Amino acid sequence: MTPLATILRDSLGLRGTKIGCGNGECGACTVIVDGRAICSCLAPLGRMPGRSIETVESLGGPDDLHPLQRKLVERGAFQCGFCTPGVVMSLIALLRERPDPSDEEVRCALQGNLCRCSGYVKLLEAVREIAREGSHER
Amino acid sequence: MNAEFKVVWKPRPQIEGSAKVSGRAEYTHDMTLPGMAFAAVLRSPHAHARIRSVDLTRARAMPGVVAAVSGREFPDLKYVNAGPAFADRYAMARERVRFVGEEVAALAADSLAEALAALAAIDVAYDVLPAALDVPAALAADAPEIHQKPDLPRNVAQTSVATFGPVDEGFAAAAHILDDTFEHGAVAPVCLETNGVLADFDAASGDLTLWAPSQAPFFVRKEIAHVLELALENVHVRSVVIGGGFGGKSQAPEPIAIAALLAMKAGRPVRLLLNRQEEFLSGKSDHGKKMRVRTAVAADGTILARHTEFWVDNGAYTHMGPAYISAVRQRTCNLYRVRAAGFDGKLVHTNKVSGGSYRGMGAPQIIWAIESQIDEIAERLGRDRLEYRIAIANRPGDETPMGWKIGTCALAECLEEAGRRIGWDEKKHAMPPGRGIGFAAMINPSVGVLYAEGNFACVSIDLQSDGRLRVGTQSADCGTSQNTVMGQLVAEELGVAPELIDVIHMDTDETPPDLGSAASRVTFVSGAAAIKTAQSFRVELEARLARHWDVPAEDISFADGVAGYRDDNERRLSLVEIADLEGPFRVEDRHDIDLPRPDPATGYGHYAATYGFGAQAVEVEVDPTTGHVQVLKVVVVQDVGRVINPLALEGQMHGGIVQGIGMALREELVFDHGAPVNASLITYKAPRIQETPEIETVFIETNDPTGPYGAKVGGEHSINPTPAAVANAVAHATGTRFNRLPITAGDILQVRPRRKPLALEPWKRPYNLEVATARALYPKVLFPGLRRLGARLGRTRTPKPTCAYVRPSDLADALRELAIPGRHAKPIAGGTDLQVGIRQGVYEPDVVVDIADLSELHGISIGEDVVRIGGAVTLSEIVERDDIRARHPMLSEGLAKIATRQIRNVATIAGDLSQEKRCWFFRSGAQCYKAGGVTCPCYAVLGDNRHHAIMGAGRCAAPCVADAAPILTALDATVVVAGTDRLRRIGLEDFYAWSGETVVKPTEIIVGIEIPNSLGETRQTYEKAADWDGDFANASVAARLILRNGRVTSARISLGAVAPLPIRAKQTEAALLHGDSSAAALRSAAELTVRGALPLSGNAYKAELLVNLTQRAIEKCLDETPSPE
Ligand code: FES
Ligand code: FES
Repeated sequence: MTPLATILRDSLGLRGTKIGCGNGECGACTVIVDGRAICSCLAPLGRMPGRSIETVESLGGPDDLHPLQRKLVERGAFQCGFCTPGVVMSLIALLRERPDPSDEEVRCALQGNLCRCSGYVKLLEAVREIAREGSHER
Repeated sequence: MNAEFKVVWKPRPQIEGSAKVSGRAEYTHDMTLPGMAFAAVLRSPHAHARIRSVDLTRARAMPGVVAAVSGREFPDLKYVNAGPAFADRYAMARERVRFVGEEVAALAADSLAEALAALAAIDVAYDVLPAALDVPAALAADAPEIHQKPDLPRNVAQTSVATFGPVDEGFAAAAHILDDTFEHGAVAPVCLETNGVLADFDAASGDLTLWAPSQAPFFVRKEIAHVLELALENVHVRSVVIGGGFGGKSQAPEPIAIAALLAMKAGRPVRLLLNRQEEFLSGKSDHGKKMRVRTAVAADGTILARHTEFWVDNGAYTHMGPAYISAVRQRTCNLYRVRAAGFDGKLVHTNKVSGGSYRGMGAPQIIWAIESQIDEIAERLGRDRLEYRIAIANRPGDETPMGWKIGTCALAECLEEAGRRIGWDEKKHAMPPGRGIGFAAMINPSVGVLYAEGNFACVSIDLQSDGRLRVGTQSADCGTSQNTVMGQLVAEELGVAPELIDVIHMDTDETPPDLGSAASRVTFVSGAAAIKTAQSFRVELEARLARHWDVPAEDISFADGVAGYRDDNERRLSLVEIADLEGPFRVEDRHDIDLPRPDPATGYGHYAATYGFGAQAVEVEVDPTTGHVQVLKVVVVQDVGRVINPLALEGQMHGGIVQGIGMALREELVFDHGAPVNASLITYKAPRIQETPEIETVFIETNDPTGPYGAKVGGEHSINPTPAAVANAVAHATGTRFNRLPITAGDILQVRPRRKPLALEPWKRPYNLEVATARALYPKVLFPGLRRLGARLGRTRTPKPTCAYVRPSDLADALRELAIPGRHAKPIAGGTDLQVGIRQGVYEPDVVVDIADLSELHGISIGEDVVRIGGAVTLSEIVERDDIRARHPMLSEGLAKIATRQIRNVATIAGDLSQEKRCWFFRSGAQCYKAGGVTCPCYAVLGDNRHHAIMGAGRCAAPCVADAAPILTALDATVVVAGTDRLRRIGLEDFYAWSGETVVKPTEIIVGIEIPNSLGETRQTYEKAADWDGDFANASVAARLILRNGRVTSARISLGAVAPLPIRAKQTEAALLHGDSSAAALRSAAELTVRGALPLSGNAYKAELLVNLTQRAIEKCLDETPSPE
């Protein structure tokens, strides 16, 4: 039983999806499947045909960042960046559903994304800002 | 103030920011090379054993295997680590293993699956030896020998005894003497990126090339060349993006030499990545320690003397222990004014994972001990704790008992500012109940002398052919923005736009020597080197143009990226044009800081170029029901000199503070027989976003003359005072001083003043007598006996590397798949427990049958009499349904408390009910009763049983932690189960056989849940207490009351996580029918939930917790508006 994350990373070369635990505990592997943020390390591949799968690569490249990504960079919302693609995907899923989320909703959506570096403070600030500016979609 | 500079003293986003946020940055995990083989490591299951033999013959013959090595294949050489006197570890174990997880053999294969499968074919014979698992055991007269140094007692790696100043006189003259002992366990760095390496060896040239996340390529090179007997010049460390360091990637992580040797043997590149469990098992942790602090205080508050005795758990091998000892000593007497100081420290080996370095190097915990005592001293003196600190704070010009000469110092100002910003004066006499404020401060040497190589740094600047500048530093940026800072410094110095500057780090071919990122030194030392190199670059550039134009160099200027001769408009060249003209060229320079070294024997003497200071104020709120501490606000005031990049430094503050909160309240490795049982990111509780407080960061900028643009070091300033300030705030809130870290909710609950001790009356249940007798026999007789017996007769688990997957098209098809005889099939839906459990060996199916998309298992229907939910409906789908929330709010609220958004999006209601038990012994591979059968013991009886059952436990003490179980029990729900020939309906109360074991047969599938509606005014509440929001419960209570005319006419209360089954609190239910709803009556009713409980050694807090939660649940039900059921 191969998880989606393995195929993304090893067969398709989409290595923006990170593996921090492989057990659904850290959220580094978060991708959006049929509109919902899930852990790709625990998504059985056999179930994927016919579904829409979005990874961090689907948002754009380094020279063509999504407004959310640009905001995270500008506000120093991450440090080592290993958790970041997963955080981005969790936030994209959230902002599509709730363009102007409350702090509590942001915390709730990111509780599954462990970040050891940032202390989450600037992350919260960045999301607050982007919600305020309404610039979460390109 | 910042007007004079363009690039420094200004926030600047990371130069790698876009690459990282877009997922394009290449970490070691992402590196591949053609022909690459995949490595896996066989680790010791024993804490201490002699290796009789390692036989690789069978493994080498396994499919795909290209190389296999054991300790014998390595040269007979040990890592140097803390210096030759401390060299005690081979690249891989030979003869003896000294901790669980130590590397015994390794192999590389064409695929990771083949490598993992081949591990089982390595034959190792061990003679198990007695182990010393903690410091007292290692120092005991009959302790087994882990290491013996010629001049020291057995298992002692180092002693550190010294006295500076008249300590005895101080104690003789004291008005007050305080004598307290503090203790803390080991925490882990928990970088999101685990350690790993890609190694490539070129046999023809003898060159070994390594890509690895390392804080210090310098050490990697030195150690790897040494243990593999290669020439230093042949070892090349290349640049990668690093996923966090915090000390966890310092020195030379062990995977590197192993992958390197495998690559040499295989003649192919080899990649070795540790999984999360291996990272906990073998990645070096912080050091646990015990500290006895005695302080002599004069009546006027002067600290006359302090003596600190400490025992540091070094683990199996010496890595950073000696540096740790020195860091601890420094924090005992240099922060506040102390007249005389004495130390007596021991670094002691135990059979546990080796201590390494973790952010702060032990400073946070010794500061916690000292600052706790400062609070107590203030209390004795009747002084305000903040005012007292300010009074005794070091001031510029002070000299400490250790001989430190304090230069710029804004400690008193930092404390004052912290007090002001937290509102101490206004709040201190009017704290609401449960609130508390704590203070702590810190001192950090701006680069101390641990290694001679730490006192210099080299930097290169290349003019590249495209006119861009490339700054090179061997120091590694683990995410702290130091590359960005280096770029800023060069940009400022040269007047070049920072966008035109690239920075390359780590690469030992492309960049000049530097010790690496450690001890917060980079900005200070390497940064100064960057400035100096920029100056040399300017000189070189001007000299070249002078030659070219044949004019004096003094007349050439270089500013804003353009060089020119006087005001000659013809002779003006941009960097691009200069590159065209001159071709690429390179300039290197170095910066040395020359310090008087402290006396090598005693450690006395001025130690650093300068010192950084800081203070923190923390406000917490303690929930009296659960003991949970929420940190509300942290004010951090730092004197770090001038701040080169405030954005980056604030980030360092936030990250360190949140790590410090983890250290204070949650984080600790829990060991059983030497093995960490919480080696996962669920059970090792690193803070998540819900725990993040508001953080206010203030920099009091002293312009330090010694550092680059007035900067001092900053990286570790954040974490150092945090645990102390949090602990002091908890003491303020609760009136109790806790002398052990972390301070858990359970600790707090047990000391909180309460009405009277709970009456458990276990003897009213005759069954408990039997259980108690068995437990009494456990330590001496039952546990050792069963462990031996189990080892011979018990079932062993072998995690299956692969299992087949089928995806039937409908329910009948799925049931047929499950019914095929001769194989073990498991249905999979969300799979969040099953897939992890398969890796842990908890489930051993040959095939999994995917039922997630079967239409028969989907759908929610809200009927007149019953709510039906399909078995494969996800938790998120249920939580999002307003009609369910209106009908059964406790179901919606309860399910929303399960795990995380990502998990709830796939995990199903049937899966939550049927997940396996979470006991951490069972899950981490212990051969326990439930795993190995009747001949095996329960590990919870003697082990750390904080999460286990307090009632109803017999031979297995694992509790039922499925949140849906108590909720659906209280809702009187039914589980509908389909077999090949019939449908069964099972009431929740008959659903479980034991924790994590249901009555559903292997050939059956849960198709749905039915929840009946009840008549009357219904009130529901689910109360859950867990260590982090989303974690498994420590206790939970689901209550459903039906009221008529304000009186309770029916009550169903079900308890979770306290017993192997979700149990009904029938006595409490009955008591509620009596109609007395006074607070006292409700409390008495709640107390009935724990009648007959028989807690284990470490979970008595659960009784208190359960009663409190029950009381809160009932109270909430009674003043809630009814749900329209
Ligand atoms: S890698 Fe998937 S959750 Fe950690
Ligand atoms: S930025 Fe390093 S883990 Fe989040």
